[in-house]
Amino acid sequence: MGIIDKLNAVKNTVPHYWPIGSFIHHNPLKGFEHLSFKDGLNKAQKTYGGKVYMEPSYYLKFYNEGKISHSILEENLKEVLEEDGLAKYYDLAMKCLLEVNPQWNHFRKQADSKDHEVDEELLAYLDDEFSYHNKERWLKQITKNMTLYEINDILFHRDDKEAIEKSIIEYVARFLDEDQTTLSMQNRELGMFETFKLYEDFDYPHDSEKFVEEAFEKLRVKNKERYLLNHLLKLHGWAGFIKYRSEDPNYYSQQQYPSSLMDYMAIRLYYEIVYLEHREINNFDLLHEYSLKNSAYVILKMIKYKYNLPGKYIDAMESSKNYEDILERYVQEELQLDAKQVHLSNDILKNSDIPLVELAKIMEILREEEGYIWLKSLEDTYIHKFIDEMKLTENSQNERPLASVTMCLDVRSEIMRRAIEKSGPYTTYGAGGFLGFPISFVEFEKAHEQFLCPAVITPQNIVFELPIETNDEYKSKKTINKTTKSVVSSLKNNPYTPYIMVEAIGWIFGINLFGKTFLPQKTEKFFSNFKAKKPQTTYTLDKLSDDEIEMYVNKLHLHIIHEAVVSNSSQKYSQEDLQAIRDHIILGKALSVDISEELLQKIQENYNVSTKDYEFQKLKLASVGFTLEEKVEYLYKFLTMIGQTDNFAQFVILSGHASISDNNPFESALDCGACGGSSSLPNNRALCMIANSQDVREKIAKKGIIIPLDVKFIPMMHTTSTDEVAFYDTHILSEEEHKKFAQVVEDFKKASSIARRERVTQLPYTSSENDIMIKSMDWSETRPEWGLAGNMGVFAGPRDSIKHMAFGNRLFMHSYDAQLDNENADILTRIFNGPLVVGEWINLEHYFSTVDNAIYGAGSKVYHNVVSKIGVLNGNYSDLKIGLPTQSVLLEGEAYHEPVRLLTYMEAPLELVAKAVENSVAKEFILNEWIRPVIIDKKAKKVYSYESGDFKVIKEF
Amino acid sequence: MISNILLLLLGGGIPYFFLLERSNKFSSKSIFILSWTLLLTAVVLTFFIDKSHTTPFVIVSFLSALYAIYKATQTTNFYKLGYYFIFMNAPFFILFEGQGAFYSLSLLVSLLGIYAIASFYDKHYGSANYLYVRGITLATPLVGIHITVYLISIGLYPPLPNSLFFLTYTFNSEANILWFVVVITLYFGNFLVSMKVLEKSIFGKKNPDIHYVDLNFKEKFAHFTIVILLILLSIYGTREILLWVL
Repeated sequence: MGIIDKLNAVKNTVPHYWPIGSFIHHNPLKGFEHLSFKDGLNKAQKTYGGKVYMEPSYYLKFYNEGKISHSILEENLKEVLEEDGLAKYYDLAMKCLLEVNPQWNHFRKQADSKDHEVDEELLAYLDDEFSYHNKERWLKQITKNMTLYEINDILFHRDDKEAIEKSIIEYVARFLDEDQTTLSMQNRELGMFETFKLYEDFDYPHDSEKFVEEAFEKLRVKNKERYLLNHLLKLHGWAGFIKYRSEDPNYYSQQQYPSSLMDYMAIRLYYEIVYLEHREINNFDLLHEYSLKNSAYVILKMIKYKYNLPGKYIDAMESSKNYEDILERYVQEELQLDAKQVHLSNDILKNSDIPLVELAKIMEILREEEGYIWLKSLEDTYIHKFIDEMKLTENSQNERPLASVTMCLDVRSEIMRRAIEKSGPYTTYGAGGFLGFPISFVEFEKAHEQFLCPAVITPQNIVFELPIETNDEYKSKKTINKTTKSVVSSLKNNPYTPYIMVEAIGWIFGINLFGKTFLPQKTEKFFSNFKAKKPQTTYTLDKLSDDEIEMYVNKLHLHIIHEAVVSNSSQKYSQEDLQAIRDHIILGKALSVDISEELLQKIQENYNVSTKDYEFQKLKLASVGFTLEEKVEYLYKFLTMIGQTDNFAQFVILSGHASISDNNPFESALDCGACGGSSSLPNNRALCMIANSQDVREKIAKKGIIIPLDVKFIPMMHTTSTDEVAFYDTHILSEEEHKKFAQVVEDFKKASSIARRERVTQLPYTSSENDIMIKSMDWSETRPEWGLAGNMGVFAGPRDSIKHMAFGNRLFMHSYDAQLDNENADILTRIFNGPLVVGEWINLEHYFSTVDNAIYGAGSKVYHNVVSKIGVLNGNYSDLKIGLPTQSVLLEGEAYHEPVRLLTYMEAPLELVAKAVENSVAKEFILNEWIRPVIIDKKAKKVYSYESGDFKVIKEF
Repeated sequence: MISNILLLLLGGGIPYFFLLERSNKFSSKSIFILSWTLLLTAVVLTFFIDKSHTTPFVIVSFLSALYAIYKATQTTNFYKLGYYFIFMNAPFFILFEGQGAFYSLSLLVSLLGIYAIASFYDKHYGSANYLYVRGITLATPLVGIHITVYLISIGLYPPLPNSLFFLTYTFNSEANILWFVVVITLYFGNFLVSMKVLEKSIFGKKNPDIHYVDLNFKEKFAHFTIVILLILLSIYGTREILLWVL
C-alpha cells in the first residue's frame, strides 16, 4: 500500500470545508457515515476526543420537565440492555440512568473526602481495566493521537508545536489566499509543494509523495496511516479546506493554484523534521528506547500535559526524581478514587445482590450507552407527539386561493408560512430553495458564476442577469464608489500614507462608527443614498444560436487582444487588424498584420487567446439558457414535486430567501442552504419567467398540467432576519391584476409583522419588532437571527396534514403528493437527493456544533478574524474554524439548539419510500440512521419508524 | 558595608532558597514565609539605616534574579512562585535609591495575596499547584479575579502600585549600562513570568474531576484587605509620580 493509498484511507475522517463566502452546512462526521450512527459516533469520539452527546444532566432536565416520556425511555433502555445481554438488570440500570450517572463525576470529587472501605477484587478489576500497571499499553494509549514534536515538547519543555503550527498556518494561509492580502505570494501556479520549496528555499527534486515517504523513513514511523491521520487532525479545518478544493475540479482558485492533501502533509512533515533535527529524540525508535528506560517519567509528563495529574504529584516531580514511586502513588490514589466511585454508586443503588465488579462492568456499559439512550428517547418523544397531533385523514380539495406561495423548505419559513395562511385566502407550499432548478448564475456586473443549487449538484445551465432599463445613475454611483474604495484602499496599503490618511480623513469613518453604534437605522438610511441601486434586470433563459455564440466568443477575444496590444506594444492596431490577429490565432488564417512573433505568443500564452480557449468558450456559451424542452421539464418537475398540478391560484408566488446582517463573516450561513449558501431569488425569478412564457405553458399542458391564462407567477424575496418580503417582476401584471395583487402585498406585509412578533419571543434581548430590524444592521450584533438553530425535523407531504401545527421555526417543510409520484418514486428520490441531503448536513452541523463547539464548532465570533477570504481564525492564527460559532447554537453558555437527529416525516406509502431510499444518494446515511425516518402511510393506516435496520410500526390508525 | 551585606541577604540578593529547597526540613510554604519576612525586615531596616548600592552587589543580586526567573518558569506551585518573585526583584531593592523600599513593600503586599491564594489551593485542592486546577475563571471567578490582580500587580501593570513605584524610581535613577540591563531584564522577567502563570492558572476548561470551592467570608475579607492595601499604595504611588511630573 503506497503513501497515497494510506492517505486516501484516512482523509475522509476530516470533512470538507467550503469557503465561508458560500457557507455550506455539512456533517462534520461525514467520513463516519458508512457506520451506523451509534458506532460512527463512538469511533469519532475516539478519533477527535470530543463529546458526541450532551451531558446526562441535559437530558435529565428534559425528562424532569416531561419533554422525554418515561415509557419511551423505559422502552429504549430495555432495548439496549437486551442487545448487551443485561436485560435482567433493568431496574438497576434505570436507577443508574436517573440517579447515579448524572452524579458520576461528582462522586469522584466526593470520594476524596469520604472514607470508604474498598473492595480488593474491585481494585484488581479496575487496575486491569485501566492498564495502570501495564506501562507500555498505557503509554501507547496516551500518545496515540500525538505527533513526535508534541511528545518532544512535553518531555523536554520545548515549544516546537507552537512554532511548527504557526509556520504551517502562515504558509498555508498565504498560499490559499483568495485576494485578501495586497501582497500575494509569488509562483503559486506551480502548486502548493513546489511553491513551498521556493518559499523555504530548499532544493528537493521529487514530489510531495516522495517527500512524505522519505520523511516517514527519517522519523521511523511505524503506523504510517495513523501518523497521517494524526497530522490531519492537528489542523483539521485547514486540512478539510485543502481536501475540498483539491476534490472540486470547478473550484477556480484550485485551477489557478493547485494544492493537495499530500502537499499539505509534506509541508507539515518538512517542519517537523526541521524542528526536530537537533533535538535529542528525533525519531520514533529513539522515543521508544527513551520511553522504555524512563516509562514512569514519560507517563507522568503525559498525564501532567493533559491536566490530569493532581498538584501534589506535580510538586513531587519538581522536588524529586523518584518517578516510579510518584507514579505508583498516583496509580494507587486513582484506583482508590475509581473504586470509591463504584462504592458510592452502590450505596445509592442500595445494591447488595450484584458483586461490585459486576456492577462496575454494568455501569461502564451504561455510561457508554446512556448518551444514545437519552437522545433516542428525546427523538422518539418528539416523533410520537408529532404523529399524535398531525392530521391523519385524507386531505380535501380546497377552493381556489387568491395566491399560493412556495417558500423554501427552510425552518425559517415556518412562522412566515403560518402567518401568510392566517392572513387571507392563501395556500403555501415548501420546496428546496433552488426549486429543483439548478443554475449557474452570473449576477449583473459580476464576473464569476455562482452555483445556485445544493453542493452535491453541478448545474448544467448558465443564467446571466442583464439590465432592461437605462442604468446611467447606477453606473455613475458605482464608478464613484469603486473609485473611492480604490483610493482609500491604496492609501491604506501604501507604506507612507496611512498616517496622513487617518489624520486627514479619519473623522469621516467616525460618522459610520458612531452612527452605526447609536443610530443604526438612520445611519443605514443615510448611507443607502450613496449605494448604487441596481436597475431592473432580466435573465438570459433562451439558448444562444451558433452564430450568436460565435459572435460573443469573437467579441471576447477581440477585447482581450486589444488589451494585450495596448499594454505590450506602442503600435496602433485598427479593429480590422485585431480581427485579423484573432482569425490567425484561432482559425489559422494567414496573417496580414505587422505584429511581432513575441507578442503573438504572449497573446496566446499569457492572455489565453487560443484554439483551446475558443473551444472552451463555445462550450461555455452553449450552456447559457435552456431549450424549450428543458424549461418545460424543470417546470413540470417542480410542480409535480410540490404537488401543485391543478387548482392554480391567480398569483403563484415563488419565494426565494436570504438574510441581511452587518459585520458578519458567517452571513452566507444564514442564506439559502439549498442554493449553496447564496440567495435563492435568482432560481425563483428564473422559474417564474419560464412559467409565464406562453410556449412553455402550451407545451406543459400537453404533459397534463394546464396553467390557466390568468395565472401569473411572481417571484418574491423573504429576508429571514427581518421577515420582510419584496416582490419582483410585477410589471408583467395588468392594471386589473395590480389592483388584486395590492391586496396580496398588503396581507403579506401584515404577515411579516405577525412573524416578527412571534420571533421577538425567541430572540434574546429583543422586545419589539424594531429591535429585530436593528439586529440586521447592527455591526456589533453577533446573533442577527437564530438562523437554522433549533431545527429538529422535516416533513415531506401535503401542507394540509400539518397546517394546524406550530413549530416555532423548527421544522423543514417540503410539499409532496405521493399520488403524483410514479412506481419508481422519482419525485421522492429527487427530494432525498437534494433537500434531504442538505437538511441532514444542516441538522448534523448544528448537532455537533452544540454538543462540542470546541471540536466541531467555530468558537465565539467575538475572537474571529477573516483569513484569506476563505474562513475565520481564532485570534491572529489558529486552525480554520469549521462548524458554527457559539452564538449560532448557544445562549449564555447553554444549548439553545436542541441536538437531535433530523426527524424525517414522510407522508407516503411504505413501498414508495423504500424505493426512493434504494435509488437515492442519501441511502447510506438513511439506512445507517444518521436521520430518523418516519413514514406515515395513510393507505395502510400505519406509521413506521426505521430503527435497527427495520421498519417498525409505531402507530396504527 | 556590613549593613549593605545584611540588606543584600535579607532582600533576597543571594539565592539562599537553593539550599533550603535541598533540605527536607523546609517546605515551599516555609521558604515563602521566611523569605517574605526577611524582605519585610529589610524594608523596615531601610527606614533606619542608610542604603547605598554598589555595583558588585547589584551584579550578584542580578545573577541571583536570573536564576530565580529560570526557576519561576519551571514551577507551577504558587508558594514557590511567591518566593521566586522575591529573589527576582531583589536587584530593584538594591538598586532603587531613596524610598525605593516602597516598591518592595508593594511587592510584599501582592505576594501576601499570592500566599492567600496558595493557602486556599492547598486547603481545598491538596496542593498550591495551579496546573491541575485550571478553568478558575469559569468555575470560581472571584478567585480568578484576585489571582489576576496580584499577578498583574507583580507583572508591573499600571495603575497597580508596583508599576507606579517602578516608574517613579526609574525616572529618578541615574542610568548606566548596568542599570539598563537590570531594569529592562527584570521588567520583562516580572511581566512574562506573571503572564505565563496567569495564562496557565486561570484560563482553560474546568477540570471535571475537581470540586471547585469559592472563597468563604473570611477569605473574602482577607483578599479585600489586601486589595485595599494595594489601592492605598497605588494612591501613594500616583502622588509620587505627580510630584515628579510637576
